[in-house]
Amino acid sequence: MSEDWRCSGCDSCKTECEAYSHVYVIMEHIDGKLLPVSLEMLGEARRLFDDYNARYSSNEKVVAVILGNDIKDFSKELIEYGADIVVCADHPELKDLRNTIHTKVVSQIALDKEIASKIEPNYAKQFKKPRYIFFAADSIGRHLSSTVLVELESGLASDINKLVIKDLNVTHQIKTDGKATDFKKTLEMYRPDFSGFLWTTILCLNNTTPAIKREYYPQGCSIIPGVFEPIKPDPKRSGEIIFYEPKIEENDLKVKVLSHKIIKSEVDFEIRKAVVSFGRGIKDAPDENIKLVTELAKQLDAEIGISLPISKKLLPASQSISSTYMIPARVIGTSGSKISPMLYVAVGISGAMQHIAGMQDSEFVVAINPDENSPIKNECDIFINGRMEDVIPLLVEELKKQQQVVQAG
Amino acid sequence: MEPLNLAVIVKLEPDFSEGNVSYKPDGTLNRNETKNTLGPHSGIAAKAAFYAKVKYDAKISVCSMGPPLAELALEQAQQTCDADVLHLYSDRIFAGADTLATAETLRTGITDKMEGKMDIVFSGHRASDGETGQTGPQTAWKLGFTFLGNVISYDVNLEKRTVVAKCLLTLNGVPNVVEEIEAPLPVFISIDPSYKSNYTTVSQRIAFEKYQKEAYERAKNYKQYLKVYNIDELGVDKTLVGLAGSPTIVYQVERIPKGKATRQAEVLDGSNPEHIRKAVAKMKEALSAMVIK
Repeated sequence: MSEDWRCSGCDSCKTECEAYSHVYVIMEHIDGKLLPVSLEMLGEARRLFDDYNARYSSNEKVVAVILGNDIKDFSKELIEYGADIVVCADHPELKDLRNTIHTKVVSQIALDKEIASKIEPNYAKQFKKPRYIFFAADSIGRHLSSTVLVELESGLASDINKLVIKDLNVTHQIKTDGKATDFKKTLEMYRPDFSGFLWTTILCLNNTTPAIKREYYPQGCSIIPGVFEPIKPDPKRSGEIIFYEPKIEENDLKVKVLSHKIIKSEVDFEIRKAVVSFGRGIKDAPDENIKLVTELAKQLDAEIGISLPISKKLLPASQSISSTYMIPARVIGTSGSKISPMLYVAVGISGAMQHIAGMQDSEFVVAINPDENSPIKNECDIFINGRMEDVIPLLVEELKKQQQVVQAG
Repeated sequence: MEPLNLAVIVKLEPDFSEGNVSYKPDGTLNRNETKNTLGPHSGIAAKAAFYAKVKYDAKISVCSMGPPLAELALEQAQQTCDADVLHLYSDRIFAGADTLATAETLRTGITDKMEGKMDIVFSGHRASDGETGQTGPQTAWKLGFTFLGNVISYDVNLEKRTVVAKCLLTLNGVPNVVEEIEAPLPVFISIDPSYKSNYTTVSQRIAFEKYQKEAYERAKNYKQYLKVYNIDELGVDKTLVGLAGSPTIVYQVERIPKGKATRQAEVLDGSNPEHIRKAVAKMKEALSAMVIK
């Protein structure tokens, strides 16, 4: 390993390239179905790496990693959707999702030199770890990414909705001892904060300060489902499938999945033509205002949605209201459902980007809001200026009046 | 039978409840004006640990990494779960730690400073101010405990020394799934926001009242139960904690650019009956699919 481990793709520091290469994308599937987020992540990895390989004159690969039992059939689809390589760990004991076993197998694959030599022989000699690793930010990937990155001793940024690969010059008091330092091919991982108004860029960077010198690869992230587009599948795309025989420890098999039940959600946005959502604007009187919203929804035969902050149950509402309405299943946005009803009514919602992403495909959008400067105004067809406490009763009354018209229609 | 030995990891967070939270005009959090409190997910984790106190007479230790102010979170957690021991790992060097470095601090505290071996460690689903949800599973992996995430209920078999937990998987594009998982102790449980404690028997309800009263009394004198450790007292490897032990850094924070207006809104006055009539008519039109866009 040369002292100067930073690599710009040139010959002089090629060893660094070989030590850390490719992006490994961890696929998710359940009950025999590939989850949409798997293909979304592959799509983004493909776009990033087409650009990356062109810019750095390299030949690094998009590697889809899939674990499970009887999953070979997925491989072709993954290649069509952008994978250069599919690493397939097909084993009866991988049928169930068990964090310990899955963490170990993903880590084995990430560190396996034989796999690396099959992926790209040119980079295999010095291979240590993948350069980047992507997971889904959902109930499976959020935890799996956390434990895998501990096992691989590297950094992880969660709930990402934008990725950029850049050469950066960074000065950091601890990491670089206050010296401006080049970090080539660094993954900028953008995370929207809880309010949806701020983006935090997170980097996973080596420590170059001599006393704490450490290389942190892979640069890991978990990606919010529904954010990235899959690429158009191409049946003619070629790729290679690598079968990996996982090493599973006897002791880890003591963890058992006793039952696996698919549950029907009490919330269904698909079957309704209209959705009425509410946000922090209910805050002055949560119970009363939610009742108003439900009354409006009833008149419109609408399902009820909420903005993300509401699901945090931070507003004082009665137990029954809170457990019925302030639940994650109702969240509209990147951290919830993406919907496209014929009518969307946003009540007391300011319109953070993450919410807009969930409702912008609606046919017709009405916003009820006392603040004409809120971003939701740019995303609606009708903006009713006013407090919900005043506006909703009038709307409900008018809707009731016109009820007969609907019945006739 | 060995009594259960439990730990709970909690976090001090900005209090997002109305009246305590302050936002800047641009919609971002005003941290200086916002009060702090026990994170709501940490609170649920404490509640889940209390369940084992009531049902199995478990011993509970609560720990947090944070500034001296984080005592407040420990006090509130004690009030929730009747903790027997409170630990605060507090040192300037810990500041700015990412989840990997935080997990190392918590692991050291739980392994080296808490009495006996832990059977179950609890954490909340995620922090409200950071959205990561990584610290729990990362601490679990460092402890070498089986990690169970999204747990909505659990029970312990004291004879077999196993736990059976129900876990809720929320996934995009497919219906939710509930799995029942059995695992030998020790385990690390990350509690789902929809977690519920079910106290079914009379004796459980009596124990609940008793411990709740005790918790209230204890929390009044929480300092009696509290031990604060700085980095030297904790004896943690200094290169593995704080900024030095953090692979990730926050590089920059920016406002998410406003999207271009995708629609041209017609602005109606909510107090004008004529405008309300118009709004309703438009909504009706939209629903009858007569709108051609």
